Amino acid sequence: MTRRNPRTTAKSQALQLPTHQPKPQLTPPTSLKMNLSSIRPAFRPVTSRIAQLSNNALQRSFAPTTRRTIRPTPATTTTTRSPFSTTARLLKRNRSAKNATDPRITAIRYHLTHPLTPRPLHFSRTRALRHWTIHRAWLLFLRKRRRAEELELERQYNSMRAACEHLRLLDNNGNRVSEAEAGGQGPDAGRLGVRGREVGRLYRAAMLKRGVWGSVPVEYARVQTDFPGREGWNHAWTRS
Amino acid sequence: MAMASVKPSIRQFSACLGCVRRTASGNGAPRRLLSSSAAAREELQTHHPTPPPPPPPAAATSAPMKDEASSKRTPEYMQKWGDLDPNLVEWKRDERRLVRREGVQPVGSRRRRAVLRRSTMRQTEQIPFEQLPYQCFQEARKFLLEDRQEKLTEIETQTLRIKNLMAQDPAVSGGALAKEARLRSMRNHLHGLIILADINDPVVKKKFEDGQGDMNKPIYRYLADQKWRKYKRLVLEQRISQLNIVPDLLPALDPIADADLAFGRKKVSPGEFVDSAISEKMPRLSVQTFEQGEKLVTVVVVDADVPVPDKDSFTYRCHFIASNVPISPSQTSIPLQRIDQEDKKTENEAARKIAVPWLPPWAHKGAPYHRLAVFVLEQSEAKALDVLDIKKTKRNSFILRSFVDSHKLKPIGVALFRTKWDESMAGVMERAGLKDQVDVEFKRKRVEPLPYKRRTERMR
Repeated sequence: MTRRNPRTTAKSQALQLPTHQPKPQLTPPTSLKMNLSSIRPAFRPVTSRIAQLSNNALQRSFAPTTRRTIRPTPATTTTTRSPFSTTARLLKRNRSAKNATDPRITAIRYHLTHPLTPRPLHFSRTRALRHWTIHRAWLLFLRKRRRAEELELERQYNSMRAACEHLRLLDNNGNRVSEAEAGGQGPDAGRLGVRGREVGRLYRAAMLKRGVWGSVPVEYARVQTDFPGREGWNHAWTRS
Repeated sequence: MAMASVKPSIRQFSACLGCVRRTASGNGAPRRLLSSSAAAREELQTHHPTPPPPPPPAAATSAPMKDEASSKRTPEYMQKWGDLDPNLVEWKRDERRLVRREGVQPVGSRRRRAVLRRSTMRQTEQIPFEQLPYQCFQEARKFLLEDRQEKLTEIETQTLRIKNLMAQDPAVSGGALAKEARLRSMRNHLHGLIILADINDPVVKKKFEDGQGDMNKPIYRYLADQKWRKYKRLVLEQRISQLNIVPDLLPALDPIADADLAFGRKKVSPGEFVDSAISEKMPRLSVQTFEQGEKLVTVVVVDADVPVPDKDSFTYRCHFIASNVPISPSQTSIPLQRIDQEDKKTENEAARKIAVPWLPPWAHKGAPYHRLAVFVLEQSEAKALDVLDIKKTKRNSFILRSFVDSHKLKPIGVALFRTKWDESMAGVMERAGLKDQVDVEFKRKRVEPLPYKRRTERMR
């Protein structure tokens, strides 16, 4: 047996083929079997393994009622029984009510038939016009609200500015002084006028920025720019 | 199901679209299609409770005669089909019969027609579009109407301000120039307010989309201008630059009017090649201006590519000049053929409009294509030009720049087409009295190869 003749081996294998040995039968769970067969098209020829399996299962289910004397080999089962009916169809005919509305089947079918993109939104003429009207009104509303907010901010700013201006022109006795006598013109609020410290004391106090940024002076909080200012450094500046 | 719904529409289109009559617009005016939407008839859903709009009174006298004539022509079996309204036809069979007998396409979708038919049968009252009972819609309308009222009061104050400023002494308002500038900016602001008052109105939008906008109203002119600038003007600009119209014929061109060119029924898109048989007759121009008021225009057709073989270059040729043609936003059509017929009737030569009659565009065989530009030139201050003076213009080597300058014209619109030698060109030239030019053929000059590039026996 150690030195085999290749020809004889081949022959013996060829002879073995027709004598089909029954394979160990795999029995999948019933639900899976139902699933796969039900979404399969009706006239697919039964060639795949799953079809065979389900066919075997069918045989088993039919066995108690119609027992056949000649048990056909698994390979020729479908052809001998009914040439045009497939398992799916048979199963459908004999389906129980429980399996008819299997949510998994429903889900599979749903996702097979529905594309990912939803259908485009179509409006009728008047519906589109109504939609447009509402949209325009909404845009107008937003615009008006924004405008109102801007105006409110502007009003508040102007009011604060007027109050500060009033304080600047106020002397110690609460009298209003002329622009020439008052100080605090320009960016430096601490600038003194002709009458010195007695005019605009409250204004100077209001303009103090101590503690606004904590320990960091507020002057460091200027807006970052790409280039330095036209006059690079204000050498004359002192903290009043 | 899908096939079933597709089938009748194909059947409908098998009828020749050119033969099918279009229904006229509701106001009886010639309908200019500002938009391609065929929804001109949706109007009836809101404004006319009874679906078929009554025919305009002018056409009412001729209508019965026409009916009699048509009934004579239609065979008896067709008369048995009864009344077929394009707005109410519901069944496939009736649609077919409508197209066959009346030559009118059914209006809108079948579903819509069915709804309309049912509602007319039941005599249900149609709710106008503005009163449709949708809460959000009604709230939006209320808000928009409030805004419109604000705009109207603003318009009033602005007109009052303008009136006051006009009455003011120029010395007070800082000189005549400053006053003029101020007035101009105030008028611009007023114009903007007038547009803003109506821009949010859904009915205005609807009417405009249906092509029923009244071009004498500023809002519709504004909308039409926007629409034109969004597509047609861009295409025109592109063709002007591609065909080098701007440096070749005019130094600069800023079209502000929509000029459509058509030879008979054939519409010509800018720069299209036109068959010589088609362009033998005068075209039909329709010029839509978006500015208020009437204008007098001069129409000039120039060929920019007349070959000069001696100098190995090109020159211009004038094909047509018509002056003193009135146009306005609502009067858009310039039917040159009709103008020509009227001119032939008028005895007074100075009152005629066509100064240089139409010469069909022609090209020699083998010559490169000719660019022809139809210019619409506005006459300054709507003053009439002297046609007898223009009549002296020579066709050959016509310079448009100097023509525009000498007559103080302003180009407002342009339409372009191209022509080249084709089969019918010989006949066209013969009829135009250019028989001696028919046999002229341009051929490429054979360029002798340089000695070192000459193919010799050895190389073969």
